[in-house]
Amino acid sequence: MRVKVWGARGSVPAPGPEMNRYGGNTSCCEVTLSSGETLILDAGTGIRTLGFSLPPDLPRINILLTHLHLDHIQGLMFFPPCFRAESSIRIWGPSSPEASLEARIARYISAPLSPVEVRELPCEVSFLDAPASEWQIGSATIRAEAVTHRGPTLGFRITDGDTTLCYIPDHEPGLGAALGELDPEWISGFNLACDADLLIHDCQYTDEEYPGHEGWGHSPIDDTITFARRVGAKRVLLFHHDPLHTDGFLDDLHRSAAARWVSLGGSEGAVEIAQERAEIVVEASGTGEETAPAPVSSTKVPAPANQVSV
Amino acid sequence: MSGSQKPLELILARNLLTSVTTPSLLVGRGGQLLFYNEAAGALLGRPFEDVGQMAPDEWTRAFGPFEDDGSPTPIEDLPLTDALREGRPAHGEFRIRFSDGAYHRIAASAMPIVGGGDGASGAMVIFWPVDDEKAREVTTGRHEVVR
Ligand SMILES: [Zn+2]
Ligand SMILES: [Zn+2]
Repeated sequence: MRVKVWGARGSVPAPGPEMNRYGGNTSCCEVTLSSGETLILDAGTGIRTLGFSLPPDLPRINILLTHLHLDHIQGLMFFPPCFRAESSIRIWGPSSPEASLEARIARYISAPLSPVEVRELPCEVSFLDAPASEWQIGSATIRAEAVTHRGPTLGFRITDGDTTLCYIPDHEPGLGAALGELDPEWISGFNLACDADLLIHDCQYTDEEYPGHEGWGHSPIDDTITFARRVGAKRVLLFHHDPLHTDGFLDDLHRSAAARWVSLGGSEGAVEIAQERAEIVVEASGTGEETAPAPVSSTKVPAPANQVSV
Repeated sequence: MSGSQKPLELILARNLLTSVTTPSLLVGRGGQLLFYNEAAGALLGRPFEDVGQMAPDEWTRAFGPFEDDGSPTPIEDLPLTDALREGRPAHGEFRIRFSDGAYHRIAASAMPIVGGGDGASGAMVIFWPVDDEKAREVTTGRHEVVR
């Protein structure tokens, strides 16, 4: 399995020269399966540039949405294949008793927020509730389960042969819970992430920032690492960067997360941090290679002020 | 892999109960005791960590409620059974054994917890001693936590 990061930012796009290395686009990852099929995880603004890289004759595009916060769907309306009549797009997302997935997404892709309506898209598009049981896409078996965030939110476990990827970009498993002490059955996302070869996980806050953001649906870095150790993840990709976290700040965050991982008994080099355009080969052995340049050191920046996060 | 991970709504319910000082417990779909909080532990005389999860007949034998003749009230007669079976809140008054070894009357309200699955995945039971002094201690949060 190969993963390419097209957007690693959380909450809102964060362009700017101080964000160039990690990138400013919101959540979107491309997963290439051993069968050649492509899965797209979330449709943040990163999906726009991903769309330009896809071959126009790709038979079918599969998009898995964890939830419908804007940073996970904003790019959908600018995804080039949506505007090609020959495209066939399937979109999975969380179900809701309130309205269908299509109706909920149409609140964004409709006037006055959008110049086009879902029904006007020339592509063939279907909206599907993520099933309660596992399902198959190409060579992958997918499992979706609800996780702790604000509003109905899924995490995904994607198994291709003997390799497993887990994607939980928005997650606060430590809310009201002592992650280090709880039995696994009481930890949100445990089964999804258990023994994953690569866990892509929320790392929105530093431990110092978290006290002002409890209950906002995101993890402080200590919980991210504790969760990853508890589930036995082989590698972790820190994801969903706070829009105020600059390149230098994220370098520091990465270093402290890696040190925490090692202090909890994890192996050196297993904690990585998501950079836009980075490609990661996920292998069952737990080893793999990241082809993006490694982060470089920089001076620490002060913790940013409060802001809304989604 | 643990095949028995609790559904998210039960995980969140446990987190909530951990954070409140009203004596409360959490039962699973079949009435098994999944968790009770520190306030409940203070009344029952044993912290949850000491007892762990228990089958319905096990926990009712240990903590009650009890009939006047001392026998445990059948679980079918408890509000939590109505909450689980009928998916609606239910309320009742009972006698249970407190940490002081004596029997006290409590009022209990059970609320079904219904998530994405089929029917209630469990129920939350909140209870209050109706004995005046105990009730005052509990409602003002002055009870001692047993550790
Ligand atoms: Zn998000
Ligand atoms: Zn979100």
